[in-house]
Amino acid sequence: MKIAMVGQPNSGKSTIFNAVAGYKSISSNFPGTTVRYAESTVRLNGLVSDLVDFPGCYSLSPSNEVSLEVRDQLIATGFDVIIDVVDASKLGRGLPLTMELMELNIPMVLCLNMMDDARQKGMSFDINSLANMLGIPVLPTIASRDIGVKRVFAQVQDASNHNNHVTKSRLRYPEDVEEMIGDLTQAVNDERTLTVSVPPRFLAIKLLEDDKYFVQNIQQSNSGALIKKARQLQHTLGVSGREPPETALAMERNSLATGICHKVTTIGSPRKDWREGLDDLLMHRAWGYIFMLLILAGMFYGVFAIGVTIETPLLEGFTRIEGYLGDTMGNKGILFVLAKNALYGISGGVAIVLPYLVPFLVVLTILEDIGYLPRVAYLLDSLMHRVGLHGCAIVPILLGYGCSVPAVMATRILPTQRDRTIAAVLATLVPCSARSVVLYGLVAYFLGASAALFIYILNIIVVVLTGKMLSSLMPEVSPGMIMEVPRYQLPTVQTILHKLWFRLREFVVIAWPLLILGSIVLGIVEFLNWDAPVNGMLSPLTMVLGLPAAVGITLIFGVLRKELVLVMLIQALGTQDVLSVLTPGQVMVFAVFVTFYVPCVATIAILRNELGARATTVVVGITLLLATGLALLTRLACAILW
Amino acid sequence: VKTLLDCQERVDLKIVLITGGRGSRLRLSQLGLGIDSTIRLIRNAPFSGPLVISFDGTEIAIGKGIAAKIRVEELR
Repeated sequence: MKIAMVGQPNSGKSTIFNAVAGYKSISSNFPGTTVRYAESTVRLNGLVSDLVDFPGCYSLSPSNEVSLEVRDQLIATGFDVIIDVVDASKLGRGLPLTMELMELNIPMVLCLNMMDDARQKGMSFDINSLANMLGIPVLPTIASRDIGVKRVFAQVQDASNHNNHVTKSRLRYPEDVEEMIGDLTQAVNDERTLTVSVPPRFLAIKLLEDDKYFVQNIQQSNSGALIKKARQLQHTLGVSGREPPETALAMERNSLATGICHKVTTIGSPRKDWREGLDDLLMHRAWGYIFMLLILAGMFYGVFAIGVTIETPLLEGFTRIEGYLGDTMGNKGILFVLAKNALYGISGGVAIVLPYLVPFLVVLTILEDIGYLPRVAYLLDSLMHRVGLHGCAIVPILLGYGCSVPAVMATRILPTQRDRTIAAVLATLVPCSARSVVLYGLVAYFLGASAALFIYILNIIVVVLTGKMLSSLMPEVSPGMIMEVPRYQLPTVQTILHKLWFRLREFVVIAWPLLILGSIVLGIVEFLNWDAPVNGMLSPLTMVLGLPAAVGITLIFGVLRKELVLVMLIQALGTQDVLSVLTPGQVMVFAVFVTFYVPCVATIAILRNELGARATTVVVGITLLLATGLALLTRLACAILW
Repeated sequence: VKTLLDCQERVDLKIVLITGGRGSRLRLSQLGLGIDSTIRLIRNAPFSGPLVISFDGTEIAIGKGIAAKIRVEELR
């Protein structure tokens, strides 16, 4: 059985998906977090099913690439059941999508999620009469606490067996609109040469909405009469309301939904809680910015303080083990080199990367799940516009602080290709958590927190300037922001831990073994003196930057995974006390270069996927130039100041 | 008739006309916003940033450019 989970952004699809499939899809309190499908095979009552978690979309009318893709997938993949997830506290807004989905003639189950939120707002529902009006099963859930989710899936099987509402869709548009839909459906039925694989009524509605994809599709299959008829009907539709055709039907659905919502909802008095008035501070025209700076600075210093406290004793321990190895094995042999490098790889993971990566990801997760990031997007919108970008472009850029890969994917929420390209470039420039580890573990650890903070600020300035430059190279007026500001949510400890592991897993399972292996390989290469040609090849670069030739090879490793740079640096220098070999200025130059240079392979792959090979090559080139230029400037500045 | 930009915070409003482009109208309609929708302006923007309106239990940030194209009347 194939099950699709569809719903509006932030309605909790991923949370439900994770509850059944184990943590496989990133959930957060940020509309549009999922832009890629998560798929999982689950066992439901002994039956193996494919469950697909779709990205959130407001409607099946494509307003961005995400919703277009959801629609294409829904049409192309023969799903047996759709689970429509609706935020109960926003029932009136969720139902229009439900109505659109019902036109696809696939058995459906409505999942009325976030019942706790609705209750808190004083709302209660007559679930039976809602189910009756819609003609599909309706089940209340609180997915974040795993309440009611099992019952949904029990119902799913039932729904697929009985093919419930398909024959008796009970929701009707007003008479006059139904008449038009009927006319056009008839015309669609009469057209034999059509190659569209959707129910005729669905197609008729989309044609009435002047949906350009279906219109184009039909024009290709050469049935001008159908389009002509649709256009004629649109005129009548346009007269009855003041809305253009593409929104007229949407508004009909909205008012129908509002009507249903009124009938089944009882509104009591909302309970006041901590959310009340919080936005008056956090979104305030002056305080908002001050709090934002405080929160971000607090995050930065907090993560560093925790990291240092853990890193220092661990590194001391590992240095002692290294000394012990040297004493027992002698300092020269290949065996000692192997053991020492394996140890560097292990200690790099335990003592250097994890102490910063774990608290960084925890704090990021908390900010994400509480719902603070959309507030940041709100506060920074005017800055984004001054840069020449769509306000929502801040979303991928903020996600970039976690990992560039999902950040680049998140650019799909932007409406134009130009905005997507610019946002993708900026999102890769922002230091991801791996690069943050380098900044913490190298710059902050050896030179003090303010030096690392300086690089963060330098980065922000460069991102803004780059954005400005790119947007003036590709001038185009960006449409303004229309963004839902979600309610604050308190994340559960369990969710935070799940998410932490989801994000750490890649480091622990892939990067860390790579780290140990890479460290050993580098050790052997150095032992055999093979690193000289590589470093020689990179020597023009290292020479210009005033860095020892030995660091050249670490930059190659950094392209594989950014964390490798730090550990390999220690490895290449042959000591954990970096300052005994490099001057503070050299550390800064190196860190600035690493922050900006070529994205890692995973990011390059995703950029290629999203922007194409040519643009990706340009990005790689630009970042290399940018990194070199900035590192040179840093070298110059350090020479003058130090 | 005034636009959303000219309104005071914490006043109930009714949308009477939207003159924006196709894309932004579509986005608004998907959030349930259209002609005759009753909304409440809850936050006017700092430094020409977006406004926040509340509508049907949801808060929505709307950029100034789009807000200027939403004509409203005050409800008493």
